[in-house]
Amino acid sequence: MVGLLFIGLGRIITARVQRRIGPPFYQQFIDVIKLLARESIWHHWIMTLGSIMALGGLIATMVHVPVAGWLPYDSGGPIFLILYLATIGYLGMAMGVSASGNPNAPLGIGRALSLMLGYEIPFAAILILFISLTGSSSLTEIAAMQTGGFLSWNIVKFPLAFIAAEITVQAMMAEKPFDQMIAPSEIASGPLVELGGKFLGLGMIQMAVAIYFETAIMVNLFFGGGANIFTFTLKQFGVYTIAILINSVMPRYKIENAVRYIWTVPLALIIIQMLIVFLR
Amino acid sequence: MIDLFTDITEIANKDGNKVYDIFFGPNHPGMHGNFGYVVDMIGHSIAKARVNAGLLHRGFEKIMETNLWHQNLSLIPRICVVDPDPNEAAYCGAIEKIMGLEIPERAKFIRTITLEMSRMTSHLMGMGSVGGATGLYTVMYLMLADRDRLLDMFEWLTGGRIYHIYNIPGGVRRDLPKGWRDKLYGLMDFFESKLKEYDEILYRHPIIHKRLKGVGVITADQAKKWGITGPNLRATGVKFDTRKAYPYAAYDQLEFDIPTEKEGDALARANLVRAEFEVTISIIRQALDKLPEGDVNIKLGNPLKFKVPEGEAYAKVESSKGEYGYYIVSTGGIKPYRVSVRGPSLPAGLFLCHKHLPGMRIDDVALWMNTLQICAPDFDR
Repeated sequence: MVGLLFIGLGRIITARVQRRIGPPFYQQFIDVIKLLARESIWHHWIMTLGSIMALGGLIATMVHVPVAGWLPYDSGGPIFLILYLATIGYLGMAMGVSASGNPNAPLGIGRALSLMLGYEIPFAAILILFISLTGSSSLTEIAAMQTGGFLSWNIVKFPLAFIAAEITVQAMMAEKPFDQMIAPSEIASGPLVELGGKFLGLGMIQMAVAIYFETAIMVNLFFGGGANIFTFTLKQFGVYTIAILINSVMPRYKIENAVRYIWTVPLALIIIQMLIVFLR
Repeated sequence: MIDLFTDITEIANKDGNKVYDIFFGPNHPGMHGNFGYVVDMIGHSIAKARVNAGLLHRGFEKIMETNLWHQNLSLIPRICVVDPDPNEAAYCGAIEKIMGLEIPERAKFIRTITLEMSRMTSHLMGMGSVGGATGLYTVMYLMLADRDRLLDMFEWLTGGRIYHIYNIPGGVRRDLPKGWRDKLYGLMDFFESKLKEYDEILYRHPIIHKRLKGVGVITADQAKKWGITGPNLRATGVKFDTRKAYPYAAYDQLEFDIPTEKEGDALARANLVRAEFEVTISIIRQALDKLPEGDVNIKLGNPLKFKVPEGEAYAKVESSKGEYGYYIVSTGGIKPYRVSVRGPSLPAGLFLCHKHLPGMRIDDVALWMNTLQICAPDFDR
């Protein structure tokens, strides 16, 4: 629900940048409800399995991400498990849409997997920094280390790591300049090209869930988590707004340039941050 | 180049790599217009390409033979939706040549102004579509919103936003409305002030440079050999513009430069459009300054009985996409005997697709097409 709300508000922000009015903030809810109520064309049972696997993987990821220190059960927000489960979601999507038979879908999936190879390296470096500082891979503990006000937040203490993480999350969210996997004018929306009805509805929910947990990871890593769900969600929206604003003024890289950029700029930033931290 | 990739196709087949087709249009977000290319793909790269044309073919030239001279005025703008006025001007120019008519000075200047306004609307869409093809939709939306201001002016002047049907044999349909000229001056100031914004968000963007550089390179010799005209020709360094070489309307009374680029790639073509946009602002200002008083057309009688004396003529006009030429034959009747149109999109869209697309990645096809300004209805006619 929060992810869909973010997408709705993001569409309004983008529209205002483009001097348009934009759709109402609840448009995404209407679209998902409409799509889930429709009949769907499917090409192979793998397509159904892949869609369910994708959504299942992402929901499994979501329940491990602490929200204002709260979790459905006491897993502590293990970051490596979160990344592992998130990959299952993306692989499910890859499997499902590849079964659709449209050549644009595997082209998009190929780009998504290449990009994943790109952003996982700097993101892993960011995690290594925090794990070595806190001595724990628990997101709850990383967030708890930042209690004591704004100056205790990691965004203030490790600004270079934050910039690196922002760039990486931009790629995770497939926002420009890293939206190669969708690229409508090149590969006709890639993985989404053959999805309609319930499949597209599920795809939109997957996107919302992905935005939710990716922004939640950022809030836990850099913004001290949150005192309550309201402040936590507000911080999440702040992270998403930055991504949307960058998205609206950026064109798209080619995939090799995107990966090269991610392997150089964010990785260099995080290495510099590590040197500053460990040599101090 | 074609042979090279034919070989690669054979190697790919031999190695068991799958060659598959992608229909890049007509139903593709990267394609504008009911037109397309069918591309044989190996991985992300194109091995072969062929034009998927004919979807917009209406037989314009044949239909024109069955219509009255004036009826055709509502048909010809549809040959290029984005930049319709050059078609009207070329058609009327050819008729006037056969009739030996010299249209009033005021009509010449008004034609010049509307032709340049039409060029601006087309260039705004062209510049915006570069943003659209690279995912920078903000540019596209901003430029289309700015373009609407010009369409408002067209609506005020002609009653139509897209198809103006304003040029007629003997001049233009009506005089400028009161206040229109001052408003257009203001609009030119507005567009001049917007150039800085266009530069910042599009032309100076490093990713745009990275995406456009080296895509679809044409040399000057190739351009001349294949009959490439307009900005695509000038982007190769050839300083040729019909407005200067064979002046029509009031262009011989105006001072303007012809911008050129050297590289001949997509970046050069995009930069040239930006430079031409600036020149167009200057031309419109000069035409407005020098606009003489007087009649705007020569009365040629009842359009339903209008006849063109026996003869033939060729008239050409420089559109935003290149040269439009109309060859008209009249047998002295109320309908043309033959109207043949020479548009700029056919050489660019047909010959260059075989030259450029093999070896190109699917990423660049929309950009390649946008910077070449291939107009689907002009291609198909």
